Amino acid sequence: MRFIPRAVRAVVPVVAFLSLGTLASAQQQHGHAAQSASSPMAGQRTPAPQDAFVYIGWPNEGQTLNAGRIKIWFGARNIGVAPAGVTFANTGHHHLLINVPIPPLDEPIPNTKNHLHFGAGQTEAFIDLTPGTYTLQLLMGDAEHVPHDPPVTSKKITIHVR
Amino acid sequence: MKPLCYGAFALVSTLLLATHLDAQPQPAPESAKVYIIWPGDGQVIRRGKFWLRMGLSGAGVAPAGIDKPNTGHHHVLIDTNLPALDREIPNDKNHQHFGRGQTEARIELPPGRHTLQLLFGDANHVPHQPPLYSSKITVIVTP
Repeated sequence: MRFIPRAVRAVVPVVAFLSLGTLASAQQQHGHAAQSASSPMAGQRTPAPQDAFVYIGWPNEGQTLNAGRIKIWFGARNIGVAPAGVTFANTGHHHLLINVPIPPLDEPIPNTKNHLHFGAGQTEAFIDLTPGTYTLQLLMGDAEHVPHDPPVTSKKITIHVR
Repeated sequence: MKPLCYGAFALVSTLLLATHLDAQPQPAPESAKVYIIWPGDGQVIRRGKFWLRMGLSGAGVAPAGIDKPNTGHHHVLIDTNLPALDREIPNDKNHQHFGRGQTEARIELPPGRHTLQLLFGDANHVPHQPPLYSSKITVIVTP
């Protein structure tokens, strides 16, 4: 069996959502952000090394890909990977933002079909995408899924799926 | 009193040893794969300083000491063969550990041909069962 994160298996329906422009309602449906606003951790973000950065190693900016399973490779430099829930200096876990801007930085990254969590320490993923244009961006989160200070985020890339 | 101390010591040592021997290597997730993203086999690298990019499919990365199923951390074997797979991976200049969950590492090699191979290790630096290692590649460093 090939390894596909649970969250990722749900991407196909998201894509339908996106094309229908019902993104906002999809987010509300899964809105963790509201719950986390009262988190006692707010304002005490985990420090990240100044030279840490993440990047999308694959696909490339502007790339056109065939619809179906698309491999996304997560690059991380000067910062390590640890599963969610593990507190270990200078580590975090990857989150892939699809078609959404960076969420608020002082609370846990939402867990929706547009904010995929890779809390098992994955460093790559396969996502299913239907034809269309997508933006992809990585954002690291700490043990509690809160972005570091400063936030460790990749450039936002745009890809075309045909 | 003294014999009691020795007795206690012996007991504790035996227990510790037993615990150690009981530690089984972590099972590797089905179809997990470790591979070198960069450099490619046969890559020529000027001056020998480069970022090694470590790839992992079907499993996760966790720092050394973190005992979570389906995770481990990378080790790179430089100019050496696979070590014994049923014990801790040696820690020396030919067996570099990335116990802080690194997925990229800065490597510096002198001019010449060098082999690189990744070997995944569990929380205790012991290879998984079955072991997860990449194919061994050769890089050529020029001055």
